[in-house]
Amino acid sequence: MNYFALLAINGLVIGLIYALTAAGLTLVFSVLRVVNFGHGALYMAGGYASYYAIGLLGLPPLAGVLAAMIALFAFGVLFERLVIQPMYGNEVERKDEYAIIVTFGLTILLSNLAIVVFGPFSKSPPPFLSGTLVIGSMILPFDRLIAALVAVVLLVGLMWFLARTALGQALDAVSQSRESAAVIGINPRRMYTIAFGLGSALAGGAGALIAPIFALSPSMGELPAVQAFIIIVIGGMGSIGGSIVGGILLGLVQGFGVGYLPDPNRALAYTQAFGALLLIVTLLFRPTGLFGRPHQRLE
Amino acid sequence: MAMPSRVSASVAVQGILLLLALLVPLASGPYWIHVGAIAWYYALLVASWTLLAGFAGQFSFAHMAFAALGGYASSLLVLHLGVTYLPLAMVAGIVLAMVVGAMMGFLVLRLSGPYLALFTLAISEVFRLILIAEEQVTRGSLGLQVPRLFHGGSDVPYYYLGLGLVIAALLLMTLLLRTRVGLFLRAIREDEGAARASGVNTTRYKLLVFVVTSGLAATAGIYYAHFIGILTPNMLILPEMGLVIAMAVIGGIESLPGAVIGAVIVFLLSETLREYGEWRFVLLGLALILVQRFARNGLFPLIERIGRGRRQTQAASARPVAPIAPAAERTHAN
Amino acid sequence: MQTESRVPFFAAAGLAKHFGGIVAVADMSLHLHRGEIIGLIGPNGSGKTTTINMIAGALGPDAGSIAIDGIDMTRSPAHAFAHRGVARTFQVSRLFRRMTVMENLIVPALSNAATRRAAAEARARDVLAFLRLEHLAHEYARLLSGGQQKLLELGRALMLEPMLVLLDEPFAGVHPRLLGEIIEHIRKLNRDGLTIVIVDHNLDAIRSVVQRTVVMANGRKIADGAVEDVLRDPAVIHAYTGSRKALRG
Repeated sequence: MNYFALLAINGLVIGLIYALTAAGLTLVFSVLRVVNFGHGALYMAGGYASYYAIGLLGLPPLAGVLAAMIALFAFGVLFERLVIQPMYGNEVERKDEYAIIVTFGLTILLSNLAIVVFGPFSKSPPPFLSGTLVIGSMILPFDRLIAALVAVVLLVGLMWFLARTALGQALDAVSQSRESAAVIGINPRRMYTIAFGLGSALAGGAGALIAPIFALSPSMGELPAVQAFIIIVIGGMGSIGGSIVGGILLGLVQGFGVGYLPDPNRALAYTQAFGALLLIVTLLFRPTGLFGRPHQRLE
Repeated sequence: MAMPSRVSASVAVQGILLLLALLVPLASGPYWIHVGAIAWYYALLVASWTLLAGFAGQFSFAHMAFAALGGYASSLLVLHLGVTYLPLAMVAGIVLAMVVGAMMGFLVLRLSGPYLALFTLAISEVFRLILIAEEQVTRGSLGLQVPRLFHGGSDVPYYYLGLGLVIAALLLMTLLLRTRVGLFLRAIREDEGAARASGVNTTRYKLLVFVVTSGLAATAGIYYAHFIGILTPNMLILPEMGLVIAMAVIGGIESLPGAVIGAVIVFLLSETLREYGEWRFVLLGLALILVQRFARNGLFPLIERIGRGRRQTQAASARPVAPIAPAAERTHAN
Repeated sequence: MQTESRVPFFAAAGLAKHFGGIVAVADMSLHLHRGEIIGLIGPNGSGKTTTINMIAGALGPDAGSIAIDGIDMTRSPAHAFAHRGVARTFQVSRLFRRMTVMENLIVPALSNAATRRAAAEARARDVLAFLRLEHLAHEYARLLSGGQQKLLELGRALMLEPMLVLLDEPFAGVHPRLLGEIIEHIRKLNRDGLTIVIVDHNLDAIRSVVQRTVVMANGRKIADGAVEDVLRDPAVIHAYTGSRKALRG
């Protein structure tokens, strides 16, 4: 029973980090109609940003997460202005393709830049809080609990921000209809920039949260990126709530799958494949996902 | 439709490059012949993906999966099912890939844009994970030993085989694009609904392009498998697909010769710059972003256009490059 | 502009379509005789475009039936409708933007496997001559002006050698000079025997060219008859100006 609870909690922690990563991705999709194939690289960059903020600036570990989020927000804004913005004009005919290609280029660029600059070997940032919480026979490292807690805070904060603040509502308005938003005086292009910055910040934050738990490496974003793609489809592209549900679901499946399936090689591969299969099934039978709105083409 | 001078200049350039390609093994050592032979693997993948994504607008991330399917199918037929005649196993691998390609094409009929990309990415991942999981059969990450096609130490036969495959594929695809099928594929890319309203059976032609390009990808995978002699699930990882996409975009996503040239140049550069380690891929990522941002149709068409532009300022009956609209409006006013 | 036969060659009956919880078309019937020009009008959201999409085969109806010359087409795909002689244009022109004008035109012709390329190109040149756009034959569609694009849309539809053409807002956003030209083209096509359905909001333009008008509101047909009669129909006025409560307020 305790083994089950342990797996459940670990799965939940991973799931919340996945949810946070997916939330950033879905925010970018709902506002810009762009699937950011560079999302995994931003996640990884956040992890490294936090590491160096702690190391070079002497910040406490949790503040490193905040620093990473700020740095990634700035980077996201820069990338959106320089590379994505030209897409909105009349020059670019196939906007879907353009977005896929340039965000893919971002992944190639950042992942390899990380290998070159930081080296291919793993680094371990300092823990948020050393020690473990012991409940019965379960041993739960504080780091995981704190990461989960911060993820929850960020997710709740995000949902509150989108529902209650003027800026958040403006983002939501653009995600529903950019023409209508423009009519009531919202500048869609400014919203695109902000959304991309925010999405990048969320990815960076997720990476910074996971780094003390699972270590940093230039390829650390590859698997979470694929999981994020899966989650946003299952949860519904454009639905933050869907990302949360989908993220937790996937995290739990992974936790239980690896814990209970006998053959470790098969277990890891098939729990990862489960998510991909869910994506396939979702797109075939319920393309809007669990909570999403019908897809609109980027004009 | 094409202006004669444009066609002949482009064809002349391609002819020269073909001649160079034929002569390379005579002037190079075994290392570069080996590199060249691998370059043809990428060229075949990139050219067929360009047909699928650039011309037909189907941005599929499952292309490497078909290459792997072909390679593994062919190898496993020989190793586990006792097919001793290698060409038979190879053809079977291609046919299998085409059938699976048709099935996937059917599944993605209603998908487009990022949904198509994510769906095909998921399919590719599932296949990759199955290859890893079922290591009893596939040897997983350890690598499957594959019987080579030619024996003896030299890679020269592989080089010419690869080049031959690339040329054959280019001819096949170019001929296809010249027929009405080519028009239909481009119409589907431009606006599928409008194509249907214009009488095009979009289902039939989308399935066709998936079948053709899966077969070509499988051919590339089979060539690679029986050349290198070892197969791992690493041929399917996302960065490999990314490399193919990068080569296509840089060379020219709407030009088949551009795709081949892009593949060869990018691969040769990455080999030349090997001593700089991962910096060459940083450069690749940067190049991809810059080309897409500033020369959307790739470098080869850009170079073609520059060449044409220079000739146009000299030609007497130059076609106007500036927007036609204002002049036409004036005509209408009469 | 006489109708040539009493039996409708195109019969759509009891069409219905809903999207999620929204009923776009509740009950729509449309019968067309060869050689008619009819207008299909109604306030925004009345279901006109959904109806056009159904009778062009682009949308499958949830209920009802469509028959062309007696053949049931209800479940047929859009390209089958095109081959049966139903052509349509779109509200916002959906040209093949990165293909040339000539290529845009020959696609519909070549969709018929029996048509040779040379014949398709010859027909395209005729259509271009009819629309007075010959000089643009090798230009890319996306470089054309808005008005030229609208004409090209029409031309592309004509390349199917259709017996029925559905025009979705052909007058919308069109320069007055071009408007007259389009009306002239429509009249000439009808004189040559083409059956035409025009959906539009420009009542003056519609008035000047159609014989009969069908009015839709809330997904249903509320009037069907001569233009002037229909525009005086109280139900039609009600539909356009809103509920009585609003008027009182």
